[in-house]
Amino acid sequence: MAREVKKKKSTKLIALSSANKAYEFNKPLEKSIKYQGKKVDIKLREDPNGFSYIVWKNKKYMLDVIEKNQNRYTIMINGVWHSFTVETPISLKRRRFLEQQGESSSVVSIEAPMPGKIIDLLVEEGAEVKQGEPIIILEAMKMQNEISSHVTGVVQSISVKKNDSVMKDDVLLYIRKG
Amino acid sequence: MKINSILIANRGEIAIRIIRTAKKMGIRSYAIKTSKEPNAWYLEEADEIIDFSECFDDTPEFLDIERIIYNAKEHKVDAIHPGYGFLAENPDFARRCEEEDIVFIGPSHDAIYRMGNKTIAKELAKKNKVPLLGGSKGTVADPEEAKQIADQVGYPVILKAAAGGGGRGMRVVEKEKDIERMFNLATNEAEKAFNNPAVFIEKFVREPRHIEFQILGDKHGNVVHLGERECSIQRKHQKLLEESPSPALDPALRKKMGDAAIRIAKSVNYFSAGTVEFLLDDQNYFSFMEMNTRIQVEHPVTEMVTGIDLIEQMILIAEGKKLPFSQDDIKLNGWAIEWRINAEDVQSGFSPSLGTIEKISWPESDHIRVDTGVRDGSVITPYYDSMIAKLIIHAETREKALQQSSIAIRKFWIKGTKTTLAFCRAVLQNRNFRKGKFNTSFLSKELKIHYHHEPDEELLAAFFAAYDYAREVHEHEDKPLYVEKGKEIAPWLLNKRLR
Repeated sequence: MAREVKKKKSTKLIALSSANKAYEFNKPLEKSIKYQGKKVDIKLREDPNGFSYIVWKNKKYMLDVIEKNQNRYTIMINGVWHSFTVETPISLKRRRFLEQQGESSSVVSIEAPMPGKIIDLLVEEGAEVKQGEPIIILEAMKMQNEISSHVTGVVQSISVKKNDSVMKDDVLLYIRKG
Repeated sequence: MKINSILIANRGEIAIRIIRTAKKMGIRSYAIKTSKEPNAWYLEEADEIIDFSECFDDTPEFLDIERIIYNAKEHKVDAIHPGYGFLAENPDFARRCEEEDIVFIGPSHDAIYRMGNKTIAKELAKKNKVPLLGGSKGTVADPEEAKQIADQVGYPVILKAAAGGGGRGMRVVEKEKDIERMFNLATNEAEKAFNNPAVFIEKFVREPRHIEFQILGDKHGNVVHLGERECSIQRKHQKLLEESPSPALDPALRKKMGDAAIRIAKSVNYFSAGTVEFLLDDQNYFSFMEMNTRIQVEHPVTEMVTGIDLIEQMILIAEGKKLPFSQDDIKLNGWAIEWRINAEDVQSGFSPSLGTIEKISWPESDHIRVDTGVRDGSVITPYYDSMIAKLIIHAETREKALQQSSIAIRKFWIKGTKTTLAFCRAVLQNRNFRKGKFNTSFLSKELKIHYHHEPDEELLAAFFAAYDYAREVHEHEDKPLYVEKGKEIAPWLLNKRLR
């Protein structure tokens, strides 16, 4: 009996979007969502071609799991992807606490938005950069792309050099904000 | 001369497109196999495969003129179709074919050379009274000269690769302080892409429409145009969708621009299929940009509204046949739109999205044509462009074509990679697009969010993430706590148990 109570307690999950929006689901395994005060059923289906889709209010939504890593998910619905971390009420609390502590960190990384080759570095270590200023030229898919800084600050270190090949999300350089 | 066999010096959807017409005409098709995509679909569609898997140097397979010529002769093929990109607009390739008595399915090497050289092309346009934009007379030697000319015509200006096309080696310069950096970027990119760093400079028309005319000419001096294509929806000079006709043209303007396009084509004794590109400003003044001497990616919209198979005409013209129609016979029937579906992540600035197409399916109907080179299991490689498929919708009116597009895009399902489908949805939602009021600044100014999702979609995605997580936790709940050797347990699960 005691075990059952405990189990019930632990079924609530929160999907936290990358924009920090929290979607709460009390019993996700029951395949229904509390929507505008009402309980609405969700159907998970697979068609003969092997596509997964959700039926929601009589409409089909094509579904694809792009990324799944521990509690981090990227789910594509009708061609648009959405990223979440799935949290229990306790882990969410801990996460919020850690985030508050982390805000003092002022060094940010600039990452490669796509795989490619470094054609030119437009800044040196110690250089001041403004938000929106181009800092690196990356060639990908036959196009030269300017990568610009999304913060204003000073270049702390550069992790790549000319002619390096980089993968998506590789760190190109670090900037100290300010 | 009757063509009985064709070597296709290309890959992907355009190779399959050419093979389809070759089959219809009873022509044997040869495709080139590369080590970069040995299981590609186009290889199965061809009658014969020529294996280029073994590489002898760094020359990319589809750019290796002598290897292609050698194999064409070895297999005794009558003709080569270059498709688009690669060697399609390389005058040396067309010349080598002519020298070796292989029919090049395209224009003469002389026409390719003269239209490919932007300086000569502009002189020809001027001589034939086709309106032009101000700018440099020829190519620009250095940033200093670029600065001088820009001062004369006034900013903004655009730098363009002299040998260019497809948006590469092209840079818009808004202010004097940027010109040196942009000049270097443009020349670098031009050198890389076309083996020729030369750039020229011209006045940049802010927010024009991009309108192009499809041309067909035969070897007997007859040239007709098959109407225009509206290609204004672009990102970094790369087209994302095209329509025919254009909402901006009326019959009078169509005739004026079409006649100008024909004059340009005739100035180089053009034969085969070609495209004359114009800029159209908000006062309906048009100016000549360039002529593309090949079949275009977006040719299907013209085929849908005219009912003419352009690849078939290219082959017949190459055989020396006369055009079977005159300008008066060309009728534009209804409205066609082509949506390019690329393996790109619209939500991360259209960055390339590599991977495997696990599943692809689309609705079938009389309105819908899909040209694609991929199927279930196809791999998107970094070696070629990111286009997966072209979805072409044909209906009686523009309104109906847009309506059919919405339905088809919602039912176009691709699993395994991020695509530009969500971008197509965003365009269709835009009111000014629906009204036909747009120009080349549509993406940067009008379309604030480049992808569209319905209000409930994020909720559904969130639900599925939570559901999947709960299911995994549930599955593991009744299993013993210790971990079998070699079977790792997810750390988050372990944490949960230790708690």
